[in-house]
Amino acid sequence: MKRNIAMVALPAAAAAAAALLADDFVLRFLAEILLFGIAVMSLDILIGFGGLMSLGHAALFGGAAYAAAIAARQWGGDVALVLGSGIATGMVLAALMGVVVLRSGHLFLLILTLLMGQMVWEVAFHWREVTGGADGLRGLPALSLGPWTLSTARALFLLAALLAAVAFVVGRSFVAAPIGRALVGTREEPIRMAALGYSLFAVRFRALVLAGALAGAAGALFPFVNLYVGPQSVHWTQSAAMVIMLVIGGIGSLWGAFIGSAVYLGIQTYLSAYTDRWQLCVGLVFVLTVLLLPNGIASGLRILRDRLRRRGA
Amino acid sequence: MPDFLGYAAIQTLNALSFSALLLLNGLGLSVVLSLMNFVNLAHGSFFLMGSYVAIFWLGTGAPWWLAFPAAFLAAGLAGALLERFPFRHFYARPHLMQVLLTYGLSLIFADLMRWGIGAQILLPELPGALQGVVFILDMPFPVFRLFLIAAGVALGLLLWLLLDRTIWGAVLRAAVTDRGIVETLGIDTRRVFTVVLVLSAGLGGLSGALGAGMLAAYPGLDEEVLLLALVTVVVGGLGSFGGTVAGALVVGFALTFSKVWFPEFANLAAFAALALLLLLRPAGLVAPPLRRL
Amino acid sequence: MPNATDHEGRASSASARAAASAAATRRLLLVGATAGALAPLATPALAQARPLRIGMVTSLSGPFAALGESMRAGMRLLLAQSGERFADRPVELIVEDDQARPDDGVRKARKLIGQDRVDLLCGVIHSGVALALRDVVTEAQMPTFLLGSANDLARKAVSPYILRPTKTNWMLGSTAARRSHETHPGARVVTAASDYAAGREFVGDFVQTYQEFGGRIGRQFWTPLGSADFGPLLTAIAAERPDSVYVFFAGSDAVRFLRQWKEYRLAGRIRLTGTGACFDQEDVLPAVGDAALGAVNTFHQSPTAPASAAFVEAYRTSGKGLPGEFSTTGYACGQVLRAATERTGGDPTDWARTRQALFDAPVDTAFGRMPFDPRNGQAILDIHVHEVRSAPGGVINTVVHTYPQLRDPGPNA
Repeated sequence: MKRNIAMVALPAAAAAAAALLADDFVLRFLAEILLFGIAVMSLDILIGFGGLMSLGHAALFGGAAYAAAIAARQWGGDVALVLGSGIATGMVLAALMGVVVLRSGHLFLLILTLLMGQMVWEVAFHWREVTGGADGLRGLPALSLGPWTLSTARALFLLAALLAAVAFVVGRSFVAAPIGRALVGTREEPIRMAALGYSLFAVRFRALVLAGALAGAAGALFPFVNLYVGPQSVHWTQSAAMVIMLVIGGIGSLWGAFIGSAVYLGIQTYLSAYTDRWQLCVGLVFVLTVLLLPNGIASGLRILRDRLRRRGA
Repeated sequence: MPDFLGYAAIQTLNALSFSALLLLNGLGLSVVLSLMNFVNLAHGSFFLMGSYVAIFWLGTGAPWWLAFPAAFLAAGLAGALLERFPFRHFYARPHLMQVLLTYGLSLIFADLMRWGIGAQILLPELPGALQGVVFILDMPFPVFRLFLIAAGVALGLLLWLLLDRTIWGAVLRAAVTDRGIVETLGIDTRRVFTVVLVLSAGLGGLSGALGAGMLAAYPGLDEEVLLLALVTVVVGGLGSFGGTVAGALVVGFALTFSKVWFPEFANLAAFAALALLLLLRPAGLVAPPLRRL
Repeated sequence: MPNATDHEGRASSASARAAASAAATRRLLLVGATAGALAPLATPALAQARPLRIGMVTSLSGPFAALGESMRAGMRLLLAQSGERFADRPVELIVEDDQARPDDGVRKARKLIGQDRVDLLCGVIHSGVALALRDVVTEAQMPTFLLGSANDLARKAVSPYILRPTKTNWMLGSTAARRSHETHPGARVVTAASDYAAGREFVGDFVQTYQEFGGRIGRQFWTPLGSADFGPLLTAIAAERPDSVYVFFAGSDAVRFLRQWKEYRLAGRIRLTGTGACFDQEDVLPAVGDAALGAVNTFHQSPTAPASAAFVEAYRTSGKGLPGEFSTTGYACGQVLRAATERTGGDPTDWARTRQALFDAPVDTAFGRMPFDPRNGQAILDIHVHEVRSAPGGVINTVVHTYPQLRDPGPNA
């Protein structure tokens, strides 16, 4: 019980402190970290729980971003509309992807998700009338909730924090529910699960659609942080960056996704002003994580906490 | 009519030469994957390294044909070092961890190469013998591309003979199937695996040296060729030599003729064709008889 | 809130300048105003005038890495030549990497504006990044010298906070068509280009202008950005047997296209014309060498134009080869920044005044005499027609004709 209260209170307090103290740039940066964190967390459900290594996750995230941006340009930036169109797009793209990829496994799945994701990129890149082609879409209206306009960095950050909290609860409920357990089962013992009467496809398909909904929700808000959406947000390199964030943060922990996106974007944003070799640093952090903390920073923190607790007891 | 025939013939040769490049590029990746069940996403780095070695070699004026063995040796040496640490510790780990480790390494190598060589685009000085052109039904076709096709066929054959027709290849395949038994015969399987990795890295470097004449060399090429190699190997079906050959042909022809027929939607058409193919044959074109579960 | 204090700081420094003409008083007030805005950061700078902070967003990794390095090198060369001071005020350059990705570019620009508190922003190669930055710098009221070249930047996406000391794509596409018509009237031209925004603009403007002159356009070929193999395209072009072909490719695409152009023996059989970027002196020509010989291209940057001679010499003595588009762009942008600082007595942050000062008289840059068009803040540029000729140690873009003072059609186009 005490732990649950702490789990709610700590992030809430951190978010409130940030909203009060941080400046505009930091707030937008934090919003970006949170939105990427949500997308990476949804990827964690696939990779960490389902063992489904996807290299096409940015297509869900970025596809939703395009849908939300197009909807907002057409009908205005109402949050419900933006989130609704993003979530729906994420789910539809995930369902399409699922129908194609989920009959394969391992590297075949990796390549199929890559191909599917790049097909989405090709569409975004070439359909100039709708997506703006290589130049992307700009000139987005401000987000609004009823009578309020949510265009300030603080409002965007609070919205992203709220969405992250909801997404985290949804993600945790999913992996704790029977369907989540079944998903782990399909990864560990696919043959036994099939023998027990589970449809591997159905279990995985639901997980993918849920991940699409979460990534879609995050993607829907993403264009409003930068007032822009472009084809890079659906490119496979964005998917690869999400995998890197996930591994650095910790596979299979859900909350590690947020740490991973913070570390990755932090290195990229702050280190690159000091050295041209920041990609070397990302690579080194990544390899060291794989070698030393195969379960990411999240597991490192957990081990540290357990040690401290034992010493305290 | 002869116009059309010449056009079709040259486009087919274009597709063949691109397939040859894909085959060379895919073979190295396929060898470690099929024989050691190890996914090496740093393979593109070996390719780019081979390209750079060949370009510098050809720039020095030393005998040109030695550029290819030089690239093979340089990349093979890099492979040998990497095999010691950290690859060796990851042979028994799940694919996911191998993918992550080697992808991270490829990021490091990419930046190291850029640090040392710079970001500019380099092309090799091809020797006069490879710069010519042949006319086929009145249409020009570069000699260098014929050389690529010949190299692809020759290396493919050589590798197939080595793995399928020699005692050494038999030991290797046995070590993959049951390492314990082979060990009891007094064979050091660790050394066998080292040799395979060196061979794979060397093939990567060699294909980079051959490919530089067509693709040039620059930061980012490693990633591009890695993707092509992965698609080739996976479409062909993991773990079989014939599969990689089939994959290279299918991918090469798909990418070439999608450019001929639907130039504006070339990639989309090619990706869709490959995805459809994988949908119909979820284990690739040539599925090996034994599948791990 | 930091934005508000920033504006107060800027506003009070502006009013201070209006009130006092004596330099000493102005400096005092300026220090007071900036100290108010930057109390925690500025303590060491209080002793003397706060340095002028210039932020640059460019691509130091990703597909345009080589171009971004050139842009930075050009700017740094100008700063070194100026003794790291503009109008006696020390200059501090902060360079950020956008990886040629709009989202990263926007984040870096926000960091430069919000955290590093730069006085002026400049840079950008990728048009997508430039267009993405447009709304951000306009919202933040940040004086920006934007170096992307999409036509829209001088048209639909004009912003009062943006000046553009570089070309638009239209300038190159339309002059190439004019030149083709003047030298080979009636020739049948096919086009081949990378299928993305820049390629569509170059080819679109070329085709439109060429057809206005009554020229004949054959097939238009498009290839995906980042094509590994140009064999299929070149075979298709050969089968068309046109008189000439107009091309746009950049970076590795250009290198592969030109090398294979020669391999397929099209050199000499079909006239090759194109956009200058496809024959960039620094990025492309050193790699392809004589494969580009005889090709004709239109460009605002030239290693052989008289205006760039001093820069070319300085760039070569700094240990590099001949400069290309982006090293010259970085250098010329620095020259414009320096002129802006000098014409405003060391403080270009009063943007209305700085803009006016640059509109009032042209700036002499490595691109030649550069007036700015007050309608859209777009530079008016000389466009050179080059022929690639052999020179000691390689090949060089040689000026064969110049279209002087080209002005983009602008917002009404």
